[in-house]
Amino acid sequence: MTNPKPSSLLIRVPSAAWVIVLMMTIFTAINPRYLTPDNLVNIVLQNAVLLILALGATLVILSEGIDLSAGSVLTLSGVTCVSVMKHLMESGGSNALAMAAGVAVGLLTGALMGATTGGLIAIGNMPPFIASLGMMGVGSALSLVLANSTAIYISNPLFSFLGEKLDQSIDLPWMQYLSMPTFIAIAVFSVIWVTLYHTPFGRYVIAIGGNESGARLSGVNTVVWKWMVYLVAGVLASISGITLAARLEAADSIVGVGWEFDAIAATILGGTSFAKGKGGTGGTVLGVLVIGVARNGLNVIGVPSLWQPALTGTIIILAIVFETVLSRWKEGRRWVWHD
Amino acid sequence: MGLARLAARGFVPDLERPWMQSAARFLVLFLVCILMAVLTRSTEYGFVFLNLRNLLNIVRNASILIIIGVGETITLTAKDVDLSVGSVLSLTSVVAAIMLNRYGIDYPFAILTALLIGAALGLVNGLLITRVGLPPFIATYGTLWVLFGFAYLILQGAVIYGFPAGFRMIGNGNLLGVPMPIIVMAAVFGSGYFVLHHTTLGRRFFATGANLETARMSGIEVDRTIVTAYVISGFLAALAGLVLIAYTNGSEARIGDSYLLPVMAVVVMGGTSLSGGQGNLVGTLAAALIMAVIHNGMNILAVPAIWQSLVVGLLIIATVLTDQWLRKRA
Repeated sequence: MTNPKPSSLLIRVPSAAWVIVLMMTIFTAINPRYLTPDNLVNIVLQNAVLLILALGATLVILSEGIDLSAGSVLTLSGVTCVSVMKHLMESGGSNALAMAAGVAVGLLTGALMGATTGGLIAIGNMPPFIASLGMMGVGSALSLVLANSTAIYISNPLFSFLGEKLDQSIDLPWMQYLSMPTFIAIAVFSVIWVTLYHTPFGRYVIAIGGNESGARLSGVNTVVWKWMVYLVAGVLASISGITLAARLEAADSIVGVGWEFDAIAATILGGTSFAKGKGGTGGTVLGVLVIGVARNGLNVIGVPSLWQPALTGTIIILAIVFETVLSRWKEGRRWVWHD
Repeated sequence: MGLARLAARGFVPDLERPWMQSAARFLVLFLVCILMAVLTRSTEYGFVFLNLRNLLNIVRNASILIIIGVGETITLTAKDVDLSVGSVLSLTSVVAAIMLNRYGIDYPFAILTALLIGAALGLVNGLLITRVGLPPFIATYGTLWVLFGFAYLILQGAVIYGFPAGFRMIGNGNLLGVPMPIIVMAAVFGSGYFVLHHTTLGRRFFATGANLETARMSGIEVDRTIVTAYVISGFLAALAGLVLIAYTNGSEARIGDSYLLPVMAVVVMGGTSLSGGQGNLVGTLAAALIMAVIHNGMNILAVPAIWQSLVVGLLIIATVLTDQWLRKRA
């Protein structure tokens, strides 16, 4: 074996962390105001929704699948949640009742979409790419139809609370550093982390991703568990859709376009790979932060908004290239692709 | 149900054979045409759908999709998906539009530049996949967003319109009564078919896609083959963009966005497998025509445009499920 001996620091620290440190250094050098608690808290708040969606993508990719419908499920659940809530409020329901019903319908939408995608993949044996591409079309069309191609605005203080910083409702000095989306993301992360690493479900997901027929032959009911993966991913997409709608106080009919790419990119950046069930949720948090730090930093250092899509995309691609090259180097292979 | 009974008796088309797959698709195309003709019949105007002008319209509308679809079929034959086609189309058409409209550059030169940029972007995709080793899905979805970003940046969010008459010929003109997009499409489809089925390069695409290791062992330069496939795809996306803006006489940064879903749909519906080595160009042609017929019928029936992605999504799912079901029964 001609294993190179990389320094141990390089091995132990995930590549996404290097990218984050590098970017933060550059941004701080350009604008010292970048590294203030206010801004750092903002980064966390802005990316809580993406983290929830990316955790779903991580589960799916760990099981060696792909879910292109995540963005449209996000949109659709926001739309169903807000339209039900609005309808109930207009017909005289209390804020609390309307919110409970809206959130329930939103979650149910995500579960139904996820169950359908999962059913097509696990039971219908369709390639995940095609099944989720089809569901992406279905989901985005339903959102456009239900929201009549525009945004539905909602003003329900209880619902808005789900998307706010806590200083809006609790008058304590440090409350501006806490926000509901962050809490929701932390809660979702904990649940997914426990599920993935401390329950049979998590083990089966990783086993299916590592070697599906091997898992089946050792008695794992791969059909049911694969189906569950997409169901859970659908529910996570709906949680992010509802949180986003609460933050914006509106459900837009195309708000989720492209979010599935951010979610998948964050997962890949975090070291989860399409092959062999490698990776996990911790890396995905770092992956989300790479994207979040890049977006926020470009804003704070005053890059014109016209440049931002091109630059963010380029940074994400470069970070993925870096992650791929580094992980291959860590495994002691040549960096040229020869599988 | 007739089909189920036929299937039960074993009279099922052998879908492992490409020509059977294509024949089945043309049969569906024929049935969809009849259905649309009947549905859109009006007491005043008769069979409006079967009007020669309407039929030419349908094929012309399908042309852009088929030109991109030929490239997509080739990358899927040799390796995997190319999700960046829509953005390549946007970026190259934006560049061509600016050269023609703002700088008044001669149109042959603008066309050449756009096609070269398209090929170069395909090269970048190919190198990201073969040299860097990114999964094709990630590499091309990444370039999708980067290229959209640059198209947006170049155009500064504006919409550009008004091109010289000579340039508009390729989208708007006629040759012996046949619209130019159809002629371009026919040329692209013909050469694509020839390359894929009658040249060494085509054999290499199939061999590399079917089994990378075996292909390498047999002396095929697999990396170069894969890169070639992505270059062709980029080139054809750029060509489709030129035809499209010559027809619509305008361009903007999002012009190609709406093509990703339909292109993937027609390729998959055409019977090209996502696991490589099984390209079916004739199937792509048939599926694109089916899609165009359904769109046209929905337009005549005044179904709102927002329902169309629902129909496309359901079509993808239904086609693939039917294919699998038929294969299982056969």
